[in-house]
Amino acid sequence: MGVTSHMKQSCISDLEYISKIKVNTQTVLKRAQHIQGQKIPTKQWQAAWLLKAVTCIDLTTLAGDDTPSNIQRLCLKAIQPVEYKLLKKMDMHDKEVTTAAVCVYPSRVADAAKLLEAAKSTLPVASVATGFPAGQTPLETRLQEVRMAVADGATEIDIVINRTLALTGQWEAMFDEIRQFRMVCGNAHMKTILAVGELGTFTNVYKASMVAMMAGSDFIKTSTGKEAINATYSVAIVMARAIRNYYLFTGYKVGFKPAGGIRTAQECLVWLNLIKEELGNDWLCPHLFRLGASSLLTDIERQLYHHVTGQYAAYDELPMA
Amino acid sequence: MAGSTTKTVYDIFQSMEFGPAPTSSTSTAQAWLDHHSYALGLFIDGKFVRPADRKSRSLLDSKGASMCSIVCAEDDDISQCASSAVNGFKVWSSMNCHQRAKVLLKLVSILGLHGKCVSELCELCEASCSPSTLVRLLQYYSSWAQLRDTLMTNWKPLGVVVVVVSDDSSLFTLFLKVFPALAMGNSVIIVPGHCTAPPALLLAQLFMGAGLPAGAFNVLTGTDVSLGAKVAQNPSISYVTYSGNKQDAVNLRKATAGMGVPVSVSPCIGATCPFIIFESADIDSAVDEVIEAAFKKKKEIHWVLFVQESVLDRVVACFKLRMVRMKCVGLQSTADRVLVDAAVKEAQQQGAMLIQACTAPPSGALYPPTLLWRTAPASPCVVSPSPGPLLPLMTFRSNTEAVTLGNHSPHGLAASIWTEDLTLALETAQSLSVGSVWVNSHSVRDPCLPVSGYKGSGTCTDGGQEGLYQFLHPSSSSSPSLPRSSPLPMDYTKFGTGASPVIIPDESDSASAPKSYLHFVGGKACKSVSGCSVAVQQPGGGGVLAYCPDGGRKDVRNAVEAAIKVQPAWIKKSLSARAQSLNSLAKGLEANSQDIAASVCVQTGLSMDKAEKELELSIARLSDWAAYCDKIQGATLPMPQSGSALSFPEALGVVGIILPDKNPILSLVTLLGAAVATGNAVIMVPSEKYPLPALVFIQVLLASDLPAGLVNIISGRKDQLTVALANHSVIKAIWYWGSAEGCQYLQYTCISPLKTLRLSCQNDDDDEGKDWTQSHPSLLEETWRNAVQWKSVWIPTA
Repeated sequence: MGVTSHMKQSCISDLEYISKIKVNTQTVLKRAQHIQGQKIPTKQWQAAWLLKAVTCIDLTTLAGDDTPSNIQRLCLKAIQPVEYKLLKKMDMHDKEVTTAAVCVYPSRVADAAKLLEAAKSTLPVASVATGFPAGQTPLETRLQEVRMAVADGATEIDIVINRTLALTGQWEAMFDEIRQFRMVCGNAHMKTILAVGELGTFTNVYKASMVAMMAGSDFIKTSTGKEAINATYSVAIVMARAIRNYYLFTGYKVGFKPAGGIRTAQECLVWLNLIKEELGNDWLCPHLFRLGASSLLTDIERQLYHHVTGQYAAYDELPMA
Repeated sequence: MAGSTTKTVYDIFQSMEFGPAPTSSTSTAQAWLDHHSYALGLFIDGKFVRPADRKSRSLLDSKGASMCSIVCAEDDDISQCASSAVNGFKVWSSMNCHQRAKVLLKLVSILGLHGKCVSELCELCEASCSPSTLVRLLQYYSSWAQLRDTLMTNWKPLGVVVVVVSDDSSLFTLFLKVFPALAMGNSVIIVPGHCTAPPALLLAQLFMGAGLPAGAFNVLTGTDVSLGAKVAQNPSISYVTYSGNKQDAVNLRKATAGMGVPVSVSPCIGATCPFIIFESADIDSAVDEVIEAAFKKKKEIHWVLFVQESVLDRVVACFKLRMVRMKCVGLQSTADRVLVDAAVKEAQQQGAMLIQACTAPPSGALYPPTLLWRTAPASPCVVSPSPGPLLPLMTFRSNTEAVTLGNHSPHGLAASIWTEDLTLALETAQSLSVGSVWVNSHSVRDPCLPVSGYKGSGTCTDGGQEGLYQFLHPSSSSSPSLPRSSPLPMDYTKFGTGASPVIIPDESDSASAPKSYLHFVGGKACKSVSGCSVAVQQPGGGGVLAYCPDGGRKDVRNAVEAAIKVQPAWIKKSLSARAQSLNSLAKGLEANSQDIAASVCVQTGLSMDKAEKELELSIARLSDWAAYCDKIQGATLPMPQSGSALSFPEALGVVGIILPDKNPILSLVTLLGAAVATGNAVIMVPSEKYPLPALVFIQVLLASDLPAGLVNIISGRKDQLTVALANHSVIKAIWYWGSAEGCQYLQYTCISPLKTLRLSCQNDDDDEGKDWTQSHPSLLEETWRNAVQWKSVWIPTA
């Protein structure tokens, strides 16, 4: 990743633009309903879309009881997310179907990196950082956290924004903070978590998205998965609009990552459709779209199993993560 | 389907395309059509009827395949249907409110059972209506059926109502008239169009299952709306109401002129409506929504986009981004393609820039969504829009200019305005002369929202409580104001052009020479522009009583000029100030009551006692209207979605009134009060027979504080002035008391521009017609409801 290739200098006109942004909540909700109401693909189209979703998953475990053993299971699942024989039936076994990354806490980055190296995989390790999930730690310790995760081998860093700054309208200060994170990320991919459930309004979500992108984020991400409200379709529409408009201004494509509460194959098809509708096919690749999920993969596997065999699998028939 | 089997998972994985659109099943609807052997009959007296030897019309489904045929009704069918509807009315109207409500609610549960068949049939016919929409309509109107006598006391149903729609009308607009008519206790004959005939027939059948009496709901099908005119001719019809395109509205009005049946029209299809994006709008949402609204395959409205200049670049950039992935839209026919090509070419020649989703295919009934940028209000694509997915875009500099541009159209159906600024939204909503304003939304239809076309977009209100009154009349009013008749053979170009009789006073005695009166234009008592006078005869024909000005076209023109100058300010005046002016007018009338009573006496031959009685009533009536000023108000409407829906009664503008002979002063103040209290300016033509009381009343007006020009009184020959009023486009409504010929003339003439007509045919003997001395609330309500049009404003919230 070009480190700060698209980082814009904050200037008066940008901030003025941000202060003028308006989002009408009910139209966004209506649009979200419209997208949810659209027909989703069936048959081989569904299978292909689900496999695409698999390749966009950041397979995640963010729990207090994570140990090297479950991190190992996670990594191996990420390398082979769908059973070989199922892939073979769809003629997809040689198309490098893996998840996009594994995502862990900073203290587990070293474990994951070691395991993936041992398995001769180039799968990136993503780490949450900057006082995840609340972001309520001093700036210096948050910066240090990023440095250490990168040093341990994380090539993708999911930072959380400082909601205090967002809610009090200190967009310039937020811009400066994110830019500092960007600097210490170095070559690592930076995904900025907006924690939309705590931003109050769609207008704030749009503003935070813009500021995060201007400060050099490679991705903007909905939530930590720890707030009361996580990735909703309506919030995604607002963020996708911000991405679209940022592209319009700068010509730079920023990625999008919904996370939190995405559990079923059905939901992830709606997500893909939403991205296709709002951003276009360009965004339907792991380079610009990620799904933060832990249990989603199992449901996708069941659907694929059904597509290939015509039967619904019992959970114990499928390889566990 | 050939491609679908060859596409591998990997192909799709890379292209991320959608699969083929799933073909929806229409088997249930097909089974119903099959049961009718694909030949649907008429629905008369509760059953399907297929008379022998009738022509039939074949209907095509949405894909152009033959779907079924319908019968073309003939005169025998019409009279059979009408007599069944009369019987149906007797049974249906004698049921109580609760029983009628129960029938409508029963239909809701029947729709629950047969919803699939209804929705499949609507899809086949492109009638664009879902069973849930019908359910909403039924639930809304069943509660009005239940509460008719509780909430609208002293109103009763009209009788047999005919609902006519054009071929391109939707099922929603049809039933937005049918259900309220039924809910109020009328029986209904519908004349559906091409799209709506099969679903309407199916619903008629389902209605019988819900317990609707036979004959209360009948369906007559035919080739076009000329069938509507034939049905209207039947003497048992009380009211005809139409919805659809403009051309059929004109045809129906012309064909029914002189039949003595009121015909109201809502030409809502093909209207041009502004879509205004202010700089304070959520621009991304606005662009998404205008794309959805303007680039549909089947659209009833032609949108014109107005964008504030300061955000034009953003809006255009947004369009470019959003339109990239759009596909071509199907046109109705290849003939439409020729029109679209011509319109685009013409716009380009006039300097319009195109933003197109993709390049247009060389030919065929397909065209890409196209934004025509840099058009002007005079561009042909704005003035007479072509079919197809074209959207003209214009810019405005300020909020006031947005309103000016938005109002610059002969249509007044609806507008969509986009801003997050509540003050601006409400100010704009107030200033636009359209019936429906959708703030941050568009094309929202619900039965609780009154839809009243302003300007050329309609003469009646549908939906809401306001829309119920077209199907009711006050129970205290006697016979219908228009007796049934056959159209008279008349030359419309000659009406009212008779030469004025030459007056040469034959009395040499100057002392007893009849007095000359002045009429009242623009706040001044004056002679007619022509300078001529007409003689007023004494009652019983005892010679010339007086001379009054012989008003004509130019007097009407001057009066309208004066009226439109002051009327906007009159609307803006506080309601209490309006009331005060009317009260002072009442006081002035009281002060001059002796003079006016004397003129009534002299003019009509009434006794002084009776004349004084009429004056007393007139003073009380004016005070009534003064009090009504701040009682006539809108409402907040119960929309099912969250948000604020408001309705406002607004003045029509300038109203032309041809006054009756009966109770010359009481009728004058009753109509003047109703019109002025609701914010209108009036041009009144006093009775040709008894003009003196009105002319004496001028001195009261002169002394009043009503703005000069708000009230005008033009005397002269009735027919000539009727023609003058009918041919002035600013006048939005005419209330007429006069000959059958005059009624027919107005019905035939007041089509473009469209005027709202309230016609009463008066006979020479004064016994019949409206009883002006009655002051029943429902009579006054009917009068003021005729003087307003309803605006609904919808502001959705999250």
